[in-house]
Amino acid sequence: MASLLRYIVHRLVGTIPILFALTVVIFSLTRLIGDPASAYVTPQMGPAEIARIKEIYHFNDPIPVQYYYYLLGLLRGDWGFSRSQGVPVLEAIGAFLPATVELAFTAFVLSLFGGIALGTVSAVKRDRPIDHATRLFALGGYALPSFFLGLLFLYFFYTQLRWVGPGRLSDTVVLSQFPPAGTFRSYTGLLILDSILNWNGTVFLDALSHLILPSITLAAGYMALVARVTRSSMLDSLNREYVRTARAKGLDESSVIRRHARRNALIPVVTVAGVYLGGLIGYAVMVELVFLWPGLGRWGARAALTLDHAAILGFALVVGIVYILSNLIVDVAYAYLDPRIRAGRG
Amino acid sequence: MHTSILGYVQGGAEGAMTVGSSVHLAREASFRKSLDRRLEEFRYYLHLFRKSPLGLLGLGIVIGFLVIAVIAPLLAPANPVDPYIIPKTFVTDPQPPGGQYVFGTGPFGTDIYYGVVWGTRISLRISITLVGISFILGIVIGGVSGYLGGPVESILMRLTDLFMSLPGLVLAMAVAAVLGRSIENLILALALVWWPSYARIMRGETLRVKNENFVEAARALGVSPRNIVFRHVVPNAIGPLLVVATMDLGTTVLVASALSFIGLGAQPGTAEWGLMISDGRNWILDGRWWTVTFPGLAIFLFVLGWNLLGDSIRDLLDPKLRR
Repeated sequence: MASLLRYIVHRLVGTIPILFALTVVIFSLTRLIGDPASAYVTPQMGPAEIARIKEIYHFNDPIPVQYYYYLLGLLRGDWGFSRSQGVPVLEAIGAFLPATVELAFTAFVLSLFGGIALGTVSAVKRDRPIDHATRLFALGGYALPSFFLGLLFLYFFYTQLRWVGPGRLSDTVVLSQFPPAGTFRSYTGLLILDSILNWNGTVFLDALSHLILPSITLAAGYMALVARVTRSSMLDSLNREYVRTARAKGLDESSVIRRHARRNALIPVVTVAGVYLGGLIGYAVMVELVFLWPGLGRWGARAALTLDHAAILGFALVVGIVYILSNLIVDVAYAYLDPRIRAGRG
Repeated sequence: MHTSILGYVQGGAEGAMTVGSSVHLAREASFRKSLDRRLEEFRYYLHLFRKSPLGLLGLGIVIGFLVIAVIAPLLAPANPVDPYIIPKTFVTDPQPPGGQYVFGTGPFGTDIYYGVVWGTRISLRISITLVGISFILGIVIGGVSGYLGGPVESILMRLTDLFMSLPGLVLAMAVAAVLGRSIENLILALALVWWPSYARIMRGETLRVKNENFVEAARALGVSPRNIVFRHVVPNAIGPLLVVATMDLGTTVLVASALSFIGLGAQPGTAEWGLMISDGRNWILDGRWWTVTFPGLAIFLFVLGWNLLGDSIRDLLDPKLRR
C-alpha cells in the first residue's frame, strides 16, 4: 500500500507541469486572437470602459507579466464573460458540465462492456464468419462519423417512429415536474442520479429514454476500438501456456476463456480504455450538436462559430483539465490493479 | 536492407586493399541480392494479403476513391467559377434523388452528387497533407531523439508527452476557431495535435534499430551520422509508422469532417462532406434523408477503406498474429 501511495503522489506531482502546459497553450491562443481584451468586453461597454478593462487585466504589460496575471485570474475564478451565453464563463461551465459528464460516462460504460464482449467472440472464433462480421462491424463502427450516425438515429427514431425527441427531457415533463409547477430538486445536475434522489419515476424514465440514443452514438466508435484491442489481446492470450495448462487440466472451454484467457487479456484493454476516456468528452461535441444536448460541447461549438473567445478558451481549458484528471484517475486505478506498474515507475 | 549492409561491409574491406571498382562490383552484387530478397518477401506478403478478404475490400475502396478523385471532371463537369464550390440551382427545397440529380439536391438546390465527387479531392488533400506533415515531423523528432539520446531526447520527448496528454480534438477546435474558418487553418490546427504519436512510435523503433548489427557495422566503417540515420535507421524503423499512416489517411478525414460539421473548416458552399452533412441536417427531420446520407456514406467508406487496408497490413507484418 505504501508503494501505491507513493505512486499516487508521484503522478499528482507529474500532473502539475501538464496543467501548466495547458494554460501556456491556451494563453498563447488568447494572444493569437488579436486583442485579448475581447474576451472580457461586453457589447454594452464604451471605449473608456474597454481601456479600463485593459488596465485591470494588465494587457499593456510585458507578456510574462500578462501570463502571471492570467494564471492569477484563473485561480481566482475569473475566466471571462461568455457573450454567446450572456453569463460569466465559469457559470456557463457549471450549468453545462453535468449534461456532458452524464452522456460521456454512459457512453463509456456501454462501449467498454460491448467492446469487450465483441472482441472476445471475435478472437475465440478466429477467421470464422462471425470473426469477419465482428471485425467489419468494429471497423465500421469506427469509420462511421458520430454526427452521421446520430442524424440517422434521429431520422429513424424521431422522424419515422416518433419515439423520442432531441434534448435531455421532454417539454411536458419539464413543465409538470420542475418548479414552478413541480417539486423536482436538482442536486448534482446529473438527471438520472437526481431523479433517483428525488424518487421521481417520470423524470427518470424520460431522462433515460433521451439518454439512450446519444450515448449509443457516442459509444459506437469507442466500442469498435475496445473490440479491436480486446480481439488482438485475446488472440495473444489464447496462445499462452497458462491457457494450454487450463485446457490440459480439463477445464471446460467457457471457463478457460473467461477466467484464464480474458482476465489476462484485459490489462491492455484497460490501458487503451483509459487513454481514450478523456477523449470522449471532446468527441461529445458532435453528438451534443446533433441531439441538441445542452452540454459543454454544444456551448463550445456555438462559441467557436460566434467568435465568443472567452467561451472557446474556457471550454478548451475545462475539457483539458477533465482530460488530464481522468488520465490521472485511470493511471492510479491501473496501478492499483497491476502491482508491476507502481514498482516500475514509482 | 540487412544483407545489403553486410555485403557493403565485406565489399568495403576488400576495396581498401584492391581498387575502387571491386568495391563497386561487390556493392552492386549485394544490392541485386537484397533486391531479389526484397522482391521475394514482397511476393510472399502479396500472397498473404490475397488471402485477407477485408484487406482486399479496403484496397478496392481506396482505389475506387483515387479513381474518382482523378476523373472528377469527367464524372461531374466542373463548376466554371470554382470546381470546389458546389453549383446552386436556387430551388430552395431539397429534391429527392432521381432524374438530373442522381443523389438529389441539398439546401439552395446544391447537387449532392457533385459534392460527393469533388469532395473526394478535398478529402484526399486534407488527409495527405495532414498525414504528410505529421509523418515528416514524427520521423525527424522521433528519429533524432531516439538516435541521439541524452538531453535532446529528454527535451523532445517531454514535449511530445505534453502534447499527448492534452485533449487533441478540443485544442484543434480552439486553434481553428481562433485562426479563422478555412481548410488550411483546419489542417494546421490538426497537425499541431497529430504529430506527437508519430514521434513517439518513431523514437521507439529508432531505439530498437540503432542497436542492430548492421548499424553498428556502418558506424564502425565511419559512415556519417546523417547517412546512418537516413539510409540505415529510418528505412528499417519506418514499418509501423507506415501502418499508422495508412489508417490515419482515413481517420484524419473523419476528424476533419467532424470539425467541418461544427463549422470550423471549409467555407459555406464548398464540396466538403462534413459541411454538406451540416447543411443537410436541418432537413433530415423533415424526412429529406438524402441530404445527409450520401455525404455520410462517402466519409464512412473513405475511412473504412483506409482502415481495412492498414489493419490487414499490420496483421501481415505482425508474425505473432501469423500462424
